[in-house]
Amino acid sequence: MQGNKAIEVSGLTKTFGTLTAVDNVSFDVSEGEFFGFLGPNGAGKTTLIRILTTLLKPTSGGAVVACCDVARHPERVRHEIGVVPQAMTSDLDLTGYENMDIYGRFYGMPAKERKERTGYLLDLVGLTQRANDLVAAYSGGMRRRLEIARGLVHRPKILFLDEPTIGLDPQSRQNIWGFLKKLMEGDRMTVFLTTHYMEEAEELCGRIAIIDSGKIVVIGSPEELKGRLPGNDSIVLTVDNITQDLIAKVEKLPFVHKSSVEENKIRVSVDSGANNLPGLIDEARSSGAKVLSASIHEQSLEDVFIHYTGKSIREEEAKKVSFLVGAGIPRKWGR
Amino acid sequence: MTRLLAVIERDLKKFRRNPVVLAMSVLMPLIYLIIIGNSFQGKLKALPVVVVDQDTGPHSGRVVENLQAVAAGPGTITIIRMKDQQEALSGVREGSYKAALIIPSDFSKNVARKSRPSVGLFLDNTDGISSETIRITVEGAVRASGTEYVSVREAAGEVRMRDVNLYSKVDYYQSLVPGVVIMAIFLGAMTTGAFNLVMDRFLGIDESYLLTPLSKAHIVSGLIISGLFITTLIAFFILIVSMLITGISFSAEPGQWVAIFAVITLTTLGLLSMMFVIIGRVNHPRIVGILSGFLNVILFFPSGAIYPVASFPGWLKSFALVNPEAYAVDALKSILFKGAALSSVSHDIAYLFMFTLIMMIVAIFAFKRTV
Repeated sequence: MQGNKAIEVSGLTKTFGTLTAVDNVSFDVSEGEFFGFLGPNGAGKTTLIRILTTLLKPTSGGAVVACCDVARHPERVRHEIGVVPQAMTSDLDLTGYENMDIYGRFYGMPAKERKERTGYLLDLVGLTQRANDLVAAYSGGMRRRLEIARGLVHRPKILFLDEPTIGLDPQSRQNIWGFLKKLMEGDRMTVFLTTHYMEEAEELCGRIAIIDSGKIVVIGSPEELKGRLPGNDSIVLTVDNITQDLIAKVEKLPFVHKSSVEENKIRVSVDSGANNLPGLIDEARSSGAKVLSASIHEQSLEDVFIHYTGKSIREEEAKKVSFLVGAGIPRKWGR
Repeated sequence: MTRLLAVIERDLKKFRRNPVVLAMSVLMPLIYLIIIGNSFQGKLKALPVVVVDQDTGPHSGRVVENLQAVAAGPGTITIIRMKDQQEALSGVREGSYKAALIIPSDFSKNVARKSRPSVGLFLDNTDGISSETIRITVEGAVRASGTEYVSVREAAGEVRMRDVNLYSKVDYYQSLVPGVVIMAIFLGAMTTGAFNLVMDRFLGIDESYLLTPLSKAHIVSGLIISGLFITTLIAFFILIVSMLITGISFSAEPGQWVAIFAVITLTTLGLLSMMFVIIGRVNHPRIVGILSGFLNVILFFPSGAIYPVASFPGWLKSFALVNPEAYAVDALKSILFKGAALSSVSHDIAYLFMFTLIMMIVAIFAFKRTV
């Protein structure tokens, strides 16, 4: 891990009325790291990213991003970061190229550099052919790709991605993962990503923080986190006849952590499943059972999440509605 | 039936959950009643008329008495007595009074001799409705004095003797042109500038530029300047076309075009900045739509564009004192119909400038750069 810190967060808290969206959160991200925030919707991911990208002021605590404190020098921080917000924010009335070019001008980039950079990035995200079409004619996936490219136009030191593939089809998601990885190979850029997709965190991130109800539950690399689970694989044995003797013998094995029975299947959490599968089968046979089939699957972040939070990723956030927006009167006024 | 009820219920629920829309639907008709009811009264009131009685004879005294009876009774006019004819006429020219009645020193003598007595009525005929009302009122007062041979000589043109074109009568149709131009500016200011910010916020696009190093001043003044460009173009187009439609022939000197340009530009800037102050934090276009109707009523009708400010009740008159549209209408009327030069409308321009400056500062200050 590199020595220099790209992001340093300490004791960060953000409350909206009585709701604590981010609760005393502290963590560091090193330069060049691909860091992920994994949590269910409503866990506080977007609030956190909005504080780190200067759109919200923290209630207490602080964060240093790239160079400076986000609350004290937001304008300096904005120079150093690129952000792809969760909502689609490209301008529908402009072409893809115009979106990129005008964004570059917001950062005061000279014309020549903008042109080169825009050309390179549009090519990277595969939009060169559609560069001069209005964004209104783009698909959701294309729009998102454009927005990621736009967030990179001024060569930011840190790229913030808030749920970059939310609501996209699997193919678009793969596509975006593909060029994010390609990007990481080229630039030594720090990436901060939030997601509630396990596969995404696992596929892209070097280190992950699991966040739930505004608090960080655990931080580590995907491998580390999975390593902290009791066992690392699940084995399912299908046998002709399950006996108490069989269950007792299996549970006594040193590498078995947990077992459960379902019809004629016995499911066990084990350490290094591939090595221990033969031993498990031998033990089953020695109790007189006939093993019909066996399967191993590696434990995933989903198992990690369930282990640490006691629940799986779901639950929707109650969206704060302004008084003036279409929706509303405060809840206390009745339905 | 269930389906129909479901559609109705869905719609009613949405309506009930929009407190601003709900409040405005109740308030708007009442505001229309109060504002239009007071700015468009059936009968005009308190039109300021200067009376210069150089005669002070028995017959002129009766004319003045009759006029005072009108002022005290129906209150159509307010009488201001003056000794100096020149002072009275320049007061009309500057717009302080709507008309000046000059009773010459030989009036009573001529009435007695029945040798064609005459009075001079100098009318500010740029305001068609009030000048016609004054003409009828004064004519009535003079006739009722029993001097049936008196002919009222309208000398509207003499008020503006410098320019021959201005002798031409300004009809009601033409007198609406300044108001229409100001209306165009209002609509332009409403649909550009801050409205684009509201739309960006509604679509969630604002986040993309709030995340960049753009400052508050960049965002606010950038949107104001682009709105200024579009709106002034529209306003000039409307001015030229409406002058052609209503047949205003106006050959302005360069200085007057500068004055028109200054008035249109400053009014646009002022209204654009004011919109930022008012709707700068709104996040739904529907609210802008409602506010637009509301603001139009409270700014346009009390501006003097249709009915003279002099006839407004006191509270509405004081509102006209701060209403930027009232200054803009006054300035455009003076330039277009009285041939006023830049210097004659400098007080209007000074007010518009101050209004714009204050609104712009408040707009930048009030703009929230966080989500």
